[in-house]
Amino acid sequence: MTSAFAARKLMAASAVVVLLAAACGTSATESPATQPPPTASTGPTDTGMDHEDLTGQTVTVIGTWGGDEETAFLEMVAPWEDSTGATVKYTGTRDLNIILSNGIQSGVLPDLAGLPGPGQMAEYAAAGGLVDLGGVLDVATYKNETAPALVDLGTVDGKIVGVFIKSAVKGLMWYVPSVLGAGTAPATWDDLQTLLASNASKADAYWCVGLESAAASGWPGTDWVEDIILRQSGPDVYNSWWQGDTKWSDPAIKSAFETFGDVVANAFGGSIGVNATAFQTGGDALFDSPPGCLLHHQASFITGLGAFATHAAGTDYDFFPFPDINSQYAGAVEGAGDLFGMFHDTPAARSLMAYLVTAEAQDIWVKHGGALSANKNATSYPDDIAKRSADLIVNAQTFVFDASDLMPQEMNAAFWKGIVDYVSDPGSLDSILANLDAVQATAYGE
Amino acid sequence: MTARTDSGASTGTGSRELPRWLTRLPLHLTVLVLMAIWLIPTIGLFVNSFRDPNEVTVSGWWTAIFPPENFSLSNYEYVLGRNNIGEAFINSLFIAIPATVIPVFVAGFAGYAFAWMRFPGRNVIFLTVVGLLVVPLQTTFIPILRLYADLGWNGQFLAVWLAHTGYGLPFAIYLLRNFMSELPREVFESADIDGAGFATKFFRLAIPMTIPAIAALAIFQFLFTWNDLLVAFVYIGAVNPDNLPLTVVVANLVQSTGGGWQYLAAAAFLTMAVPLIVFLFLQRYFVRGLTGGAVKG
Repeated sequence: MTSAFAARKLMAASAVVVLLAAACGTSATESPATQPPPTASTGPTDTGMDHEDLTGQTVTVIGTWGGDEETAFLEMVAPWEDSTGATVKYTGTRDLNIILSNGIQSGVLPDLAGLPGPGQMAEYAAAGGLVDLGGVLDVATYKNETAPALVDLGTVDGKIVGVFIKSAVKGLMWYVPSVLGAGTAPATWDDLQTLLASNASKADAYWCVGLESAAASGWPGTDWVEDIILRQSGPDVYNSWWQGDTKWSDPAIKSAFETFGDVVANAFGGSIGVNATAFQTGGDALFDSPPGCLLHHQASFITGLGAFATHAAGTDYDFFPFPDINSQYAGAVEGAGDLFGMFHDTPAARSLMAYLVTAEAQDIWVKHGGALSANKNATSYPDDIAKRSADLIVNAQTFVFDASDLMPQEMNAAFWKGIVDYVSDPGSLDSILANLDAVQATAYGE
Repeated sequence: MTARTDSGASTGTGSRELPRWLTRLPLHLTVLVLMAIWLIPTIGLFVNSFRDPNEVTVSGWWTAIFPPENFSLSNYEYVLGRNNIGEAFINSLFIAIPATVIPVFVAGFAGYAFAWMRFPGRNVIFLTVVGLLVVPLQTTFIPILRLYADLGWNGQFLAVWLAHTGYGLPFAIYLLRNFMSELPREVFESADIDGAGFATKFFRLAIPMTIPAIAALAIFQFLFTWNDLLVAFVYIGAVNPDNLPLTVVVANLVQSTGGGWQYLAAAAFLTMAVPLIVFLFLQRYFVRGLTGGAVKG
């Protein structure tokens, strides 16, 4: 969902040769001839913590985490630093592309880095920039502790090159128990409509929607459309759609847009309010008195943002999962996460990478709140809400990754813009979808 | 605001001419109004930097002033409490000062040479240098990163100093050359007659007469390098976060999901302090310097 697509244009086709040369050169020179044994031998219950002495070595890490997230990350790596004597040098930026796309071509890269998305990860892997983690991680334990869909997303040509060290569940419906009643959980979309209609008098509008997010404005709407497609038409349509095989003008996609249109028509602040409200504060009207809206649809990380951050989880607000629309596709969940990869195969980098995916490390991470772990065995969630969100991923019958994040950047950006256009003028849906079809025809061509 | 002379009293007979301060009044009012409009966003930011984020999202900053809201320093405390902020401040000075001094020096020599020394290809070289103004600096990242990688300079201050010098020089040379070429020819001719060499003419004549332009250039370059995020981030970020300047550290107060934005206003004012001081000290040169290179193209 991060923006940062401009830098990608630097990657002209002609640069591929350069890119290959640079990346190969790097890995050839930086790989020590003798590698320490992978941590596989430590057994599935062990933490995977490497106890070798790495005193004086440093690992450079780049990630998207800033502020309190950065603090949490540094706390997560602190036990590893204490145990090995090595140092982590962390740089945070929300524009990973600028470092990585320049770096992959110049060979100047951090040891470990967050990856902007699965698409870029595949490009870096194809260029030989990413180290195969098969020999770095305790693969059996990793696969055992991680949702298969997430493992697959980090795998390119049978090699694990990216791992999720943080995840999020999309499509949660947030509500205030004192308004809708504790334990509210409509099972189907129709039940949800009934629930809204019977509580209509309690708030100004049914829904809170906030789409503003600077250059990425519109993305919360893409989550809406994705959630609806997944439950209306099923994971097969969902997958063929983001892969570029199902057209945007397809009835399944159009119908999802129209369902989203119904939501916007009943949204707090009208279409202008929806487009002008920042996603971080999009649900704040839930807590107004009288409430501005009854429900807010947003991912699990909203608990750290806006008015959610200053209210008590579980008592002031709660969530229920996105209800099923077509019973045939019940139990589907959409999620997202932060991919992480390794560019330099050094002993310290290997050790840190292996440590980061362990439940021990992930426990420290999730304790801070606002983050879910991709690791099933990380259970130290600060509250019931976070724990239930994490369970959704673990127990999902069908787990899919955020479709817009999987699309080519150009398609993703057009999707964002399409959402904003549709909200401001629902009547122009056909021309918006036709335009998205035109982008789809070229964006996948590379 | 200007001379409030005794014009009204001394004429006594009821002058037909309005007093000077009155005729100037519309001008001053216009300037004051423009200034106020210009300052409003900054004032708003300043007020918001003391407010609670939840208040900021529901009411305008002007509502916080009357009656005064519960202002707090908590945003500033958070920013100053980040353990790398002090280091980043020093890093910013370490980057901005040499990255200002070096290009100003080089541009001084080059500007003088282009303006007063005769050598073959002078105009071609000058035009080439000025032509470099149109090269977007983003296109230079990859080749320079590779060059630095060979030299082992990535992550060091030197890398950023040289990068800023390169990016700043075309404009710096353009500005100083144009200013110096405006200096009176007679001064240099009489110096020639007295037997002064190039060095004497440069240090004793050209430089002292070019001080306003040099000061203006120094302000420009300092502001550019102090506020720069991209260049420092690209040449330092991947390999040595310990050397990152304030801009990068401040930008990273915001979380990946956009939380923590309330700290940016406070951080912006802390960042602004240094350029503000530099500007106040050198401001009288600033306006003069703005038109310095404009007379002759």
